[in-house]
Amino acid sequence: MLLELRDVSKRFGGLQAVAAVSMTVTAGTIHGLIGPNGAGKSTVFNLITGVLPVTSGEIRFKGERISTLRPSEICRRGIARTFQATTLFREFTVLDNVMAASHLGAERGFVRTLLATAAYRVREAAALARARDVLGAVRLLDAAGLRAGALPHRDQRALSLAMVLATGADLVILDEPLAGLTTQESEDAMKALRALRAGGKTILLVEHDMRAVMGLCDVITVLDHGVRIAEGMPRDIQANPAVIEAYLGAEDTRA
Amino acid sequence: MPPELRRVDGWIGFGLLLAAGVAVPLLTHDSYHLDVATVTLRNLLLTMSLRYVMSTGQLNMAHVSFMGIAAYASALLVTRAGWSFWAALPVAPLLAALAAVPVGRVALRVSGPYYFLISFAFLEVLRLVFNNFFVDYLGGPSGLVEIPPAHPLPLTGGAVTFTSKLAQYWLMLVLFLASAAVLIRLEFSRFGLVNGAIRQGELLAETLGVNVPRYKLGAFVLGAFFAGVAGVFFAHSQRVLHSSDFGLEPMVLLVAFTVMGGVGSVWGPVVGTLVLAVASELLRELHHYEILVYGLVLMVVMLFFPDGLVALPGRVARWFGRGRAKDGASTLGAGLAP
Repeated sequence: MLLELRDVSKRFGGLQAVAAVSMTVTAGTIHGLIGPNGAGKSTVFNLITGVLPVTSGEIRFKGERISTLRPSEICRRGIARTFQATTLFREFTVLDNVMAASHLGAERGFVRTLLATAAYRVREAAALARARDVLGAVRLLDAAGLRAGALPHRDQRALSLAMVLATGADLVILDEPLAGLTTQESEDAMKALRALRAGGKTILLVEHDMRAVMGLCDVITVLDHGVRIAEGMPRDIQANPAVIEAYLGAEDTRA
Repeated sequence: MPPELRRVDGWIGFGLLLAAGVAVPLLTHDSYHLDVATVTLRNLLLTMSLRYVMSTGQLNMAHVSFMGIAAYASALLVTRAGWSFWAALPVAPLLAALAAVPVGRVALRVSGPYYFLISFAFLEVLRLVFNNFFVDYLGGPSGLVEIPPAHPLPLTGGAVTFTSKLAQYWLMLVLFLASAAVLIRLEFSRFGLVNGAIRQGELLAETLGVNVPRYKLGAFVLGAFFAGVAGVFFAHSQRVLHSSDFGLEPMVLLVAFTVMGGVGSVWGPVVGTLVLAVASELLRELHHYEILVYGLVLMVVMLFFPDGLVALPGRVARWFGRGRAKDGASTLGAGLAP
């Protein structure tokens, strides 16, 4: 297994946002994390990526305990994420956003950078080539010179995915990757995610579009009020009484 | 714009600074003009280094304090310990940088207005120390006096001295250009990219692999070092130090120069400092109402041109070329540093 959560809890003052959740994500799968609003899905993402510290329990990635590391250290070990609200470096060009993402994890010495040694230049050129590759993969190469803040919503989404890919992460965590996309755009995005899986990436995603989740995911974990109530293949999840109960009991019944 | 071209852009800008710097003494030998030019170069060094700190999103109100630390350190090393100016020149800024490490660590535990307040508090505390403590050494309210000018350049047999205005100008120009070369080089390397990323989205940068506190501290300390270089020159050109030289008023002016020019581009502080140097000459008649005008201009710039004067050409271009290819020109000082 690539990622393992063991009895992970998060408490905000009196609110138990996540309660003893355990789950495992297997390499090479698309793993969905679903649940009604307020189930704790985004909190779980924040715990995995170190944006929030866990209250108790532990998270392991490739066998290593990561639940005490900084977000940047977790990213360097191979986990990268997008946020629910699209976040980009809006003043930068599209290319610079991807360059930044591919640079950020790579430490290079201050002096070597200052003097632009041969080794530094080689790596710099490699980073540029990689950035162009990634932009090509999300079909944004033509927009490389545009300011990121000026892109239409769909392209901003694609760019934030490109940035995650540029980090070279093995585990890609996506918070509502299809939100705000038209049906056609959504189809394209799903195709792109399947292509990523075929390319060896592991994907963990939160998504409200149930049809997409069922069609896309290999495994689904269901949270309700911070508790894991089910885990399994899409077919089993759809038939699970506890899941149906959770969704019907809540106001959000888009499933 | 591809990074390799951007680096070329950086060197073109540096070339212009170099040419302008060399042109000044060819155009005038008037000691007043040379004085103004020397002070402008010193301010450029201060604003460019302040902007490096601010490019990581830190409104550091203690920048001028590190100039002060190096100025007092250099003056004491030379007058009390009998050091040569040339030995104090690298050591005093290093001391300022060293002092910046714990200060930065404390200030960076918080962010936003709290960071501003902590750095501002440090500015005031240090000014009071300069003014009221160790009076035997620091000179107290009457100032630290009798600081010698820069010693003759070693290895030239005393042929190159720094007693004339012209020689001081050349010294300041060399110090400025050497520092500017480093800052420009960094801006167009991955450090500039990472700093800008932190300014625009700290959390995003962190989740993409940047150890944000470390980069911010690095920028803070590097800024302190270059402020220190300006401080050493200040000590040995003014030849007298007062605590008020490193207080709120000079600090506010530095921030005004920098913000007015634009923090998003390495050329922002250059534009801001040069424009205000000219303005200050034109407004000389107003005496201390001058700062009132600065305040007004700063308000207008921040309201209508939040990216600073350096982004003005790009903005105007976008107004006219609305929606067309011009949108590719970033607000980061398009036209100067696209």
